[in-house]
Amino acid sequence: MDLAYTTEQDMLAESIQRFIATEYDLTTRKNLVASDLGYSTQHWQTFAELGWLGMSIPEAYGGLGGDLVDTMIMFEEFGKGLVLEPTLSSLVLFAGALELAGSDEHKHHYLPALGAGDLTGCLAYVEADEPTNFNFVATTALKTGDHYQLNGTKSVVLNAASADVILVSARTEGQATDPRGISLFLVPGDSEGLLRKDYPTVDGLRASEVLLENVRVPASALVGAEGAASQTLNTVINRGILAISAEAVGAMAVLYQSTIDYTKQRVQFDHPLSEFQVVKHRLTEMFIEYNLAKSLCMKATMLLNQNSGDAQRHIHALKFLIGKTSRFVGQNAVQLHGGMGMTEDLAIAHYFKRLMMIDATFGHTDIHLDAFVQ
Amino acid sequence: MWTQRGDWFKALADQGGWDIPKWPKDFGGPNFTPTQRYIFDLEMGKQPTPPQLPFGVGMLAPILMNYGTKAQQDRFLPGIRDGSVNWCQGYSEPGAGSDLANLKTKAELSADGSHYLVNGQKIWTTLAQIAHWIFCLTRTSSDGAKQEGITFLLIPMDDPGVEVRPIITLGGSHSVNEVYFTDVKVPVENRVGEEGKGWTYAKGLLAHERSGLAGIQNSVMGLEKAKRNAQKVRVGAGTLLDLSSFKNKVGVLEAELLALEFTEMRTLARVAAGGDPGPESAILKLKGTEIQQRITELNLEAAGVFAAPWGAEAFGPEFAHGATQSYLGGRATTIYGGASEVQKDVIAKNVLGLS
Repeated sequence: MDLAYTTEQDMLAESIQRFIATEYDLTTRKNLVASDLGYSTQHWQTFAELGWLGMSIPEAYGGLGGDLVDTMIMFEEFGKGLVLEPTLSSLVLFAGALELAGSDEHKHHYLPALGAGDLTGCLAYVEADEPTNFNFVATTALKTGDHYQLNGTKSVVLNAASADVILVSARTEGQATDPRGISLFLVPGDSEGLLRKDYPTVDGLRASEVLLENVRVPASALVGAEGAASQTLNTVINRGILAISAEAVGAMAVLYQSTIDYTKQRVQFDHPLSEFQVVKHRLTEMFIEYNLAKSLCMKATMLLNQNSGDAQRHIHALKFLIGKTSRFVGQNAVQLHGGMGMTEDLAIAHYFKRLMMIDATFGHTDIHLDAFVQ
Repeated sequence: MWTQRGDWFKALADQGGWDIPKWPKDFGGPNFTPTQRYIFDLEMGKQPTPPQLPFGVGMLAPILMNYGTKAQQDRFLPGIRDGSVNWCQGYSEPGAGSDLANLKTKAELSADGSHYLVNGQKIWTTLAQIAHWIFCLTRTSSDGAKQEGITFLLIPMDDPGVEVRPIITLGGSHSVNEVYFTDVKVPVENRVGEEGKGWTYAKGLLAHERSGLAGIQNSVMGLEKAKRNAQKVRVGAGTLLDLSSFKNKVGVLEAELLALEFTEMRTLARVAAGGDPGPESAILKLKGTEIQQRITELNLEAAGVFAAPWGAEAFGPEFAHGATQSYLGGRATTIYGGASEVQKDVIAKNVLGLS
């Protein structure tokens, strides 16, 4: 089995590392978090120029036709830099769903623009009554003539405020938890009847509650066959899990390494903390757990890349293990930094919060452990 | 019921010193036996009663009672008791965290012996921003062991040489600060006890502070709340509490809390019999704070993706509000008052005899 990256993949990782090293220090990130948009459009253009936005878009639509391993490499590096730009929403979820289920017309219209950074999209799939189940859809879409009329509320929609288009899951038939009868609709962000309540998230990103009150979209806004979106959602959410797991792997790499660096220079009781055996062992455990999480991230990515029947199980196992490991690595990074680990001035706190939200996104540890053991 | 904190503490005082349950009778306390005090704490812990800021009543007052002059007691204890004077604790420094005795803030006695000149920096000073006074460990001598040459001083925060700079912590809150001292003149009558004996005075108090950090009754109530929260989270045909992995975590915590409660009872029994708190008391802070953190994790899990919204306005189900802050803020409990790793060293050395 060849697990080595290709030259192109190594170059991809290096180019993101260079970008983060020169453009993404903690102060810059804090300023972006505090800005109106919450990220940098200039960075977004850079991402487009360097081919990162088009990486997973098929070549027929102006992209580079990369696979899930390429996406994993990108997100691992984004995780190291705590990148704020809406790559998950716009590329993995939105572009991913269009690529899987959209018509040729949808793809021609959106994919090249997404890859060029001229347009962003996001996915509204969470509902408050059962947030961990994407098949729970109480939002309705009623067909009247050549239009659909949407009503309902979507929760914690990542990057909804900045998205040009929101892809909304809505029910065209069946009961709220029925996997059949869910459809996806392209809803422009400025649609009449669409109300957003925007808020910052604890990890420095942006999300919204999205209320749909008699929002009318043309029949051509339907993505995929009517009532058949559950499988599409499942696949893009699986890809989303892979992407944020890779991001967590990157963030954990920074955390364990920074903790090693800190304990080497922090002197208490006349010795660097790193000389105390309890600290040495804890750092070693962080390193071990990090590596196990990284291994499973790689394996699950390869399996889904091959469309293996074993992929779903591995993705549940991965999301569980990423949550468990991020807590272990994150909590110990804070603990070993002592009071300093508790301050917003150090990067540690920001990695810790991002890992916390990765655990909460797409269902936390218990949800996936339960699905894994079923 | 009680519209004002002040009303509540006044009502407690009217019961005969219930506002200062740990103070001895001579200083107006209720003269509780250890058992009565335990019951008092237990019942207070079961209700959402307003907590008293610990720095004056719980930390400084016992030191003044034991080591302060009559004049110092008369001057400071009334303001501590009625809450009109806020205190903060100036112990930790950038280079003196777990290794507290490594502190460097310098206090030099003037040639005429009338005052100390204080220069240096404290860090992690809780609520310094609202404090009128700070009680400080300062270094008056660098001779001998680190623990010697430490002097306990009382310093008014409105001195022009005292500067407070906020530290914003994980969770966005401002409760801790840096406190800088530049040529602050402290009259010798603000020294508590003898010069160079401050470490001894503070050490006894640290053990006391630590045993008070276990928060067992809060954890008992917190766990019940976490279970109720989890029952409100729909997962498939059931709730989050029906998932075996979540339920098991709750069960493990419940069992450990039962054990911890009785560990506290064993400590109490020793004290009630006239003995020292004993080795079990060292377990309380360690295990108690770890349990507190695990309960905040359960609430975070119940909040799920609604842990994300951040800012003044609350979104998502009501039970999810505050779960993120508690989880983030709770990370400090195994760091402050002696990090868990250091607590284990203390137990290993003092209890198990492993040097």
